Amino acid sequence: MSSVLGIITASGNKIRVQGLQDYRPISAFSFLGRYRVIDFPVSNFSNSGMDRIQVYVGQNPRSLAEHLGNERVYNINPKRGKLQLLFNQDSRVNDIYNTDVAAFTENMKVIERAPQEYVVITPGYMIFKQNYDELLKSHIESGADVTLLYQKVDNARESYRNCLTLELNRQKGVTEIARNLGTAKEKNIFMDTAVMKRELFIDLLHRAVKTSAICSLSDILNIENENLDIRGVQHKGYLAAITDLRSYYDANMELLNYDLSSQLISSSWPIYTVTTDSCPVHYYQTAKVKNSMVANGCVISGTVENSVIGRDVRIEEGAVVKNCVVLGHTTIKKNVHLTCQVVDKWAQVIHAGEITATPDAPGYIRRDDVI
Amino acid sequence: MKQGEMLAMILAGGRGSRLKDLTNKVAKPAVDFGGKYRIIDFPLSNCANSGINIVGVLTQYESVLLNSYVAGGSKWGLDTRNSGVFVLPPREKADQGLDVYRGTADAISQNIDFIDSYDPDYILVLSGDHIYKMNYDWMLDFHKANHADATIAVIPVPMKEASRFGIMNTDETTHQITEFEEKPAQPKSNLASMGIYIFTWKLLRKMLVADMKNPDSHHDFGKDIIPALLADGKRLFAYEFKGYWKDVGTIDSLWEANMDLIDKKDELNLSDSGWKIYTQDATEMPQYIGPEANIETAYITQGSRIEGTVKNSVIFTGVTVSRGAVVEDTVLMPGSFVGEGAKVTRSLVKGGVRIGKNAAVGDAASENILLVAKDVKGED
Repeated sequence: MSSVLGIITASGNKIRVQGLQDYRPISAFSFLGRYRVIDFPVSNFSNSGMDRIQVYVGQNPRSLAEHLGNERVYNINPKRGKLQLLFNQDSRVNDIYNTDVAAFTENMKVIERAPQEYVVITPGYMIFKQNYDELLKSHIESGADVTLLYQKVDNARESYRNCLTLELNRQKGVTEIARNLGTAKEKNIFMDTAVMKRELFIDLLHRAVKTSAICSLSDILNIENENLDIRGVQHKGYLAAITDLRSYYDANMELLNYDLSSQLISSSWPIYTVTTDSCPVHYYQTAKVKNSMVANGCVISGTVENSVIGRDVRIEEGAVVKNCVVLGHTTIKKNVHLTCQVVDKWAQVIHAGEITATPDAPGYIRRDDVI
Repeated sequence: MKQGEMLAMILAGGRGSRLKDLTNKVAKPAVDFGGKYRIIDFPLSNCANSGINIVGVLTQYESVLLNSYVAGGSKWGLDTRNSGVFVLPPREKADQGLDVYRGTADAISQNIDFIDSYDPDYILVLSGDHIYKMNYDWMLDFHKANHADATIAVIPVPMKEASRFGIMNTDETTHQITEFEEKPAQPKSNLASMGIYIFTWKLLRKMLVADMKNPDSHHDFGKDIIPALLADGKRLFAYEFKGYWKDVGTIDSLWEANMDLIDKKDELNLSDSGWKIYTQDATEMPQYIGPEANIETAYITQGSRIEGTVKNSVIFTGVTVSRGAVVEDTVLMPGSFVGEGAKVTRSLVKGGVRIGKNAAVGDAASENILLVAKDVKGED
């Protein structure tokens, strides 16, 4: 798999997660207590034996730069492999110019210099498990020019908004890439994941730039479709696309199903992340905890139900946390009752009393806020 | 501390035979502790946090796992330039045959060449089997301020237990050690040696060279080196340590030290972000507490899955407690499994052990803690 360059893209200009994304790109969001979203695509690459990985980041790169500072974390030999963070200056004139192609072309020399024969492009805002060794094999066997990964879903009306979809013919040939506007239940959600030769990738980028200043990779694939053999490969299993606060919330909640989460993360397919050397969780006598995922370093004396709790969180006696996603280093004080909230890092919920929302419209408590 | 001023040597060769089946295949310093740690993580993290860059780990008994665990030092950040953790098992030398370490002092003597190659001013000698957090740099400051030849860390113990320890009799105002008594029948002081020594290297080197040639010596710090220094009129000082310190030499004391973590006082306080204890990183997902679980006073780490009841217990990495199981006053070591409906009480369950469905293990009224080192058959 050393013949493959792994590329992880930023979330692009069609997607915005209110609140959380004010502080960091989606790929740097905390996820399932101890991870960041980026850990999933990088671990997929690493577990597939790929050791040359480029991560593209636009605005607010700090947390991602900190997180990806060490290849060893991802089980990549730092002498042979490389985990590269590539910045691109987002256009301030108009967000429409901030396409994936713009990010790639700004770093074209780095892509051109890479010795790998193939590229796998995958997004930094989706979470799934994929063995790219297998995907590359099926790509080569099929003889296709481009292989696109998709998942068949039956909830495209309310979920995967603004994701792309694939129209396929009977031979799994891609006939069109289109945006999901919620018009039908059943759709083939394009996982923004593509396999092709690096040469073709570079060629497509040049063509995209010539076509239009706002042309994206999926646009140029659509345009060049009649000249290329583009095929879809179906992915099965857990898939989360983080496109808004609700999908972020749902993606966490869904993994409270242990069978599902242990398929995504297992000893045979570990998801690597940076350690913070937090100690185990200390549950006091008054703690009541049910159906929850709890990261290390927490001190819990209150009630926690159906929730995902990040590292080093303190939940005091008398506090009640239900159906919440609580990010690291937060404190939930006595007599605070939270329901269906996403609590961002370092927040201190002290005097807030009861804050309630519903699962279809979860609330958000900002980072560093004291309320 | 100036870089390279003090080098640490950790004595990690002991078997810890009172830990019975826990140390069948691993040396005592490699025994698991506190959910996610191994005992040797404590002195190594203390070294890293104290600014000590070079650490020698003297291994002997069943050292394969321990050697690979400490090698490289990256787990404690001790792998930067001019730092490192070095595994030092007994070795064959050009001018003499292969010899085991005959005692704590001999282990250092046989590695004089290693220490010389770093040319430190001071040497810190530690044992690899105690649980505590300590800033050795403060102890070095004390050593220097007293112009001491040797400084020994001591901790006050209850007077009635003093006869179990090596006791330092000191001058109350200067803290200079006047007498050292190993397990005295009639102790005159309650200051027990913690087995932590700082020596001015030049002097210790001389003492060790002489000690190696002495046929009557046990080659032991407590029995030989310290008494010889006192007899020579050298300046020995007692550095009084305030804080949590525990020798985890027996199943009962190992269990107790784990239980201390869930004590309200939590004197060890492993959540102190200013003095973290570093260990091997686990890749398991966060702990999952199931819909029917009951958790009451517990210390639980990453990768465990709790579907039953856990009360007053410490749960290590990758443990499963199944539905209907009740775990009370128990330590479950890494990867152990408690089957449906099983009851585990007042036990210490060795890593990887499987307790079958509806099995019952341990006795709430027992004086000693039950070590469960083999699978327990259940109804499955």
